[in-house]
Amino acid sequence: MKINKQDLKNISLLSKIKIDDDNSASLITDLESILNMVKKMEKIDTSSVEELSHPITTTQTLREDELKDEIDREKLQKLSKEKNSGFYITPKVIE
Amino acid sequence: MTELVKLSLSEQLEGLKTKSFSSKELTEAFLKEIKSKSSLNTFISVYEEEALKNSSIADKNISNNRTRILEGIPIAHKDIFCIENKKTTCGSKMLENFISPYSSEVYSRLNNLGAITLGKTNMDEFAMGSSNETSYFGKVFNPIDKKYSPGGSSGGSAAAVRANQCSFATGTDTGGSIRQPASFCGVTGIKPTYGRVSRWGMIAFASSLDQGGILAKNAKDAALALHCISGFDEKDSTSLNEPVGDYINEINSKEEHVLGIPKILIDKISNNSVKENFNNAIEILKEDGVKIEEIDLPHIEYSLPAYYVIAPAECSANLARYDGIRFGHRSEHASSLEELYFNSRTEGFGKEVKNRIFIGTFCLSAGYFDAFYKKALRIRRLIKSDFDKAFKKVSSIAMPTCANTSFELGSISSPVEMYEQDVYTIPANLAGLPAISIPSGIHNKMPLGIQFLGSYLDEGKILNLANKFQNLTDFHEYE
Repeated sequence: MKINKQDLKNISLLSKIKIDDDNSASLITDLESILNMVKKMEKIDTSSVEELSHPITTTQTLREDELKDEIDREKLQKLSKEKNSGFYITPKVIE
Repeated sequence: MTELVKLSLSEQLEGLKTKSFSSKELTEAFLKEIKSKSSLNTFISVYEEEALKNSSIADKNISNNRTRILEGIPIAHKDIFCIENKKTTCGSKMLENFISPYSSEVYSRLNNLGAITLGKTNMDEFAMGSSNETSYFGKVFNPIDKKYSPGGSSGGSAAAVRANQCSFATGTDTGGSIRQPASFCGVTGIKPTYGRVSRWGMIAFASSLDQGGILAKNAKDAALALHCISGFDEKDSTSLNEPVGDYINEINSKEEHVLGIPKILIDKISNNSVKENFNNAIEILKEDGVKIEEIDLPHIEYSLPAYYVIAPAECSANLARYDGIRFGHRSEHASSLEELYFNSRTEGFGKEVKNRIFIGTFCLSAGYFDAFYKKALRIRRLIKSDFDKAFKKVSSIAMPTCANTSFELGSISSPVEMYEQDVYTIPANLAGLPAISIPSGIHNKMPLGIQFLGSYLDEGKILNLANKFQNLTDFHEYE
C-alpha cells in the first residue's frame, strides 16, 4: 500500500489538520506501515458476510420525549472563548 | 498510617464501619502517597482540600449510621470522565482548559454512593496509546520500576492503584486500555460488556468499542466497584436495560466453570515466558476442578487489522467536534474560519491522535470505504460469530492479557509495534464481551497477566473465576 503526496493533501483537507512538508516523509512511512498491517484483512473472503457496526444487536433504548433541563445554555457557552449575545463568534466568513 | 493505603477495599470498608480509622485518616494517607510519589506522574489533577472536606462529611455520615456502599472510600477517576466544574483534559492540549459543565454518569454514581474523589489520573491522549507516552501532560512511570511503561491508555489509573494512591480507580477500555495497563502494573482490571456501564460524560474515542470499567487491587474489590457503576442509564442510548448481577455474592458462589482455551492462538505465542506462564495458570485452575476445553477462534488473528480500521474511523468522526469554536483549544492565529479549524486542530492534537484521525479519514474516504471500512465490519461479524460458537461449548475463555511484560519507556517507536501490544485484548472489544485481567506471575521482576473473557453480561462468572484464581495464588499481592 503506497501513500503519495496527493493522498496526504486529501487527508489533510478532509480532516482539517495541517501536514508539514518536513513531516510528510515520516508520516508516509507511519501510515503505510499501518495500512500494510491492515491489508492483512484481504486474506479472507468476506463476500457473503454482512457488516457488523455494533457489538450489541438489541434495539436502542429510547427515552420518553419529555422536556429536560439538564444542561444550561449559558454554562455551555462559557466554554467558548468568543461569543456574543448567545452566538458563537468565528472569523469573518463572507468578505 | 501509610499502612491504611495497603488495605483492600473491603478491608477499608470494614475499618471505617468498625471505626478502626476514619475516612479523613484514610484520605490523608492516600493524599500523602500521591504527594510522595508525584514523580510517577499518575495524576493530572488532585483535589486535596475538597477530598479532605468530603471525608469529614463521610465520617459524620458513618457516625450517624447513614453509611452508603462506598461511604468515605477515596478513589481516582481517569481524566476522560467529566466532573462538573472540574478540568477534564483527556490527556490532551485540546482540552487543557476544558472545565466540564456536567458530570459523567460513572462519576455521579460513585459520588452518590459516598466515594471521595482524590483526583483525575493521567492517560494517553484521547485514550489513544498503549504506553501512556502520548499524554500532553507527560508520560506515566510504572511504580514497579520507573524505567518501564505502566501500559495505556488507563496507565495513570493502573499505576495509581499499584502505587497505593487510591482505593480503586476508574478506567476505559477501547482495545485493551484497562486490561493491558492492569497486566503491566500487576493489578486487576475489568472491562464489562459493552453497554453495561454508561458512556454519558465519558469522552468518546470509538463509540462502538469504548466501555468504562475498574482497576483495583483484586477481583473482590473490582466486583464491588463494578457493581456500583453498572446499570441502565437513559442518557446513553447504547446502555443495556438489563438487571445488574449481584457480583459481590456471585464472586464467592460455587460456580461450575468450563474454560475455553484457543489452542492455535496459544501455540503461536512466541514469547516463551508468556506461554509458560499462561499454561501454568491454566494448570492451577485445572487442579482446582475447572474443566478445560480446547476451542477454535479461526478469525481472531484478523482482530488487530479490523480494529485499526474501525477504531480510527470512529475516532476521526468523533474528534471532528473539536473545531476550536464551541469548546477546547482555539488557535490565536486565524484570519478565516477555515484557518481557525485547521490551526486549532493542528495545534491542539498530538502526533498519535493525528495519525489515527488520518488513518480513519483515509479508510472512510471515497474509493477506500468498501475495501477498508466495510471489510473491517465484515471481519468484526466473523469474530463475533467465532465467540458466539465458542460460548455454546464453554462458560469463559482464557488468553494471556499481553504478548509480553511491560517494555522500557521510549523503546517502541514504530506505531505498528505499539498497536501489536493490544493483540489479545482487542477481540473482546470488537465482540463487546466482558473481560478481566489479573496478575498471573512475574518475569524479570515485571508482572504478567491472564485474562478471562465471558459471554454477554457474564461479568459475575469471570469475576468468580478471577477470585478463584486469586484465592489459589498470591500474584496479585504487593506491598
